[in-house]
Amino acid sequence: MANIRFLPFAHTALKNLFSKPVTTGYPFEPAVYPERMRGHIQIAIADCISCGLCARSCPPGAIQTNRTAGTWTIHRFDCVQCGSCVNVCPKKCLRMAPGYIEPGPEKWSETFTRPGFPPLGQKAESSQQPAPAPAQPEGKPVNDSSACVYCTLCAKKCPQGAISVDRAAKTWSLDEQACVGCGVCVSACPKKCLTLR
Amino acid sequence: MAKRSIVPFGPQHPVFPEPVHLDLVLEDEVVVGAVPSIGFVHRGLEKLVETKDYKEYIYIAERVCGICSFGHGMGYCEAVERVMNIDVPPRAKYLRTIWMEMSRIHSHLLWLGLLADALGFESLFMQSWRLREKILDMFDLTTGGRVIFSVNTPGGVLKDVDAYMLHQLLQTIDEMEQDLRPVSDAFLREYTVGTRLHGLGVLKPEDAVQLGAVGPMLRASGVPYDARKLGYAAYGELAFEPIVLTDGDSYARCELRLQEIFQSFHLIRQAVAKLPNGPIAVPVKGNPDGEYFMRIEQPRGEAVYYVRANGTKFLDRFRLRTPTTSNIPPMLELLKGCQLADVPLLILTIDPCISCTER
Repeated sequence: MANIRFLPFAHTALKNLFSKPVTTGYPFEPAVYPERMRGHIQIAIADCISCGLCARSCPPGAIQTNRTAGTWTIHRFDCVQCGSCVNVCPKKCLRMAPGYIEPGPEKWSETFTRPGFPPLGQKAESSQQPAPAPAQPEGKPVNDSSACVYCTLCAKKCPQGAISVDRAAKTWSLDEQACVGCGVCVSACPKKCLTLR
Repeated sequence: MAKRSIVPFGPQHPVFPEPVHLDLVLEDEVVVGAVPSIGFVHRGLEKLVETKDYKEYIYIAERVCGICSFGHGMGYCEAVERVMNIDVPPRAKYLRTIWMEMSRIHSHLLWLGLLADALGFESLFMQSWRLREKILDMFDLTTGGRVIFSVNTPGGVLKDVDAYMLHQLLQTIDEMEQDLRPVSDAFLREYTVGTRLHGLGVLKPEDAVQLGAVGPMLRASGVPYDARKLGYAAYGELAFEPIVLTDGDSYARCELRLQEIFQSFHLIRQAVAKLPNGPIAVPVKGNPDGEYFMRIEQPRGEAVYYVRANGTKFLDRFRLRTPTTSNIPPMLELLKGCQLADVPLLILTIDPCISCTER
C-alpha cells in the first residue's frame, strides 16, 4: 500500500470532460469500414461455373448451388462471414465486401442466376426449343496425350487435387469423383491439350 | 460455532459476463467452501470435428470463444501442422505472433474493464474499453474482423499485412502505450482500488503448482512459467522473459496483467521490425495421420490442443483444455476464508472464460 496516491485518476477525468466523445453518432453518421472487412458475400455471377466448391466448404451450409438451373443461393442469416467460400472459389468470383446486411424479423435468402439460364421462377423452354448454351463450357477435363508434356501444372492448380500426373511414366489420370469441372486446369495448361467435355 | 448456510451464487450475476454457478457454504459472512457447477453454455463444438473437414474445422475452432478466438485458431492449426509435418513460412509465423499479442492486449484490457466495473469504478471501466477499441480497429484493418479473424489456415495464414497496415499498427500501439499509463496508474495507485485488491485471495506458489494454476494466476504467485518460452510461432526468435510477481494476491494479478500489456507492445514492435518477406502459406495436400499435443499461452493461461487424425479428412478427436478449466481449483481455494462481498471480485481475478471451458 506504500505507492498509493490521492486521486491519480483526476487528471484523466478532467481531460475527458473537455474533449470530444470517442464514440461516433451512428446511424446519423455513416460507419466507416476498412477495405478488408468481412461484412457480407458478393458474387460476380457471370464468372460462376456452378462447381459447388463454395457450398461444400461452407461450415454452416449457407450456400447452395444448382448446376442444372445455373443458380447460386445464399442464406444471408446462416452465413457466418468466415470467408471459406472466397478462399476456395477457383474462378475468384466471390468476395467479402464491407458493410453488414440489414437486420430483419425473418430469415431470407438471395438467389443469383448465371447468364444464359432462365431467370428464377421461369421454367426452361420445351424440348423443341433447346435452352440457351451456358456461358462457360462444362464437363470434365480430357487430356490429349499427343500434345501433353506432363508439366504437372494442371495437377498443381486443381483446387480438388483430382489430377495425378507422373512425369517419369508419362501418365495423366483424373479422379472423376473429386473433379468439379471448374476448368482451372484447362486455363493453366501451357500446351492447351486439356478440354472440358 | 456459527451456523452454516448455503447461498446459491450465479449463474446470472451482474459481475459475470458468462454463466457460472457456485454453491457457497457460509459461516456468517465468511465463505468456508464452494461447489462449482458449469454446463450452461455447452455447445458440443469438439464433437463437430468428426463431421467437418479438418481445413473447415478451423472456422469452428476459432468460434469456441470470442476473446481467445485467434489463439484457438492458431493452436488448432499448429497441432494439425505438426501432425502433417508442415513447415510454416517464417512470415506467417511472425504474423501469427503479432496477432496473438494483439489478442493478449485486447483480452487483458477487457479484463481490466470488467475488474473496474466490479469495483464500481465506471469511468475506469470505460477508459479501459476505450483503449481496447483501438486494438479491435487494428484487427479490423489487418484481418477484416473485430472478434473472429478467420486468418489462420493449416500451412500458414490467409491474409498478408502491407506496409501501411504495419505503420498504422505501430502508431496505434505507441498511442495506446501513452494512454495506458494513466489508466495503469489508476489501477495500481488509486486508494479505493488498492484497498479492495491488496492482500485479497493470496495464492501461495506451492498451492498454485499443486492445484494446476496457469497463466497470470501462476506467474502472480511467483512461478516463472510461460508457454510462449516453448518457442512456437516466432516466440523463439523474440527477446522476452515471463513477467513474474511474488505477492500472489488480487493486486499482483492485476499488476501482472498490466505489465503483460506493456510487454505485448514490446513484442509487437520486435516482431514488426523482424518481419521477414516471403510467402504467407504453403499449399497443404493430403490428409493428416497421427496425433499431437500442442500447448500455447493464451491471454488467460496455457491452453492445450490435442489432435488425433486417422488419414481421412475428418479428425478422430480434437480436445481443448482451456486455462479457465485449470484455474477453477485454485479459485475454489482462494474463496475459502474470504468475505461474501469479495466473492465476485475473486472469481473475476482468475479471468474466467466459461464459453471456452464448456466449448
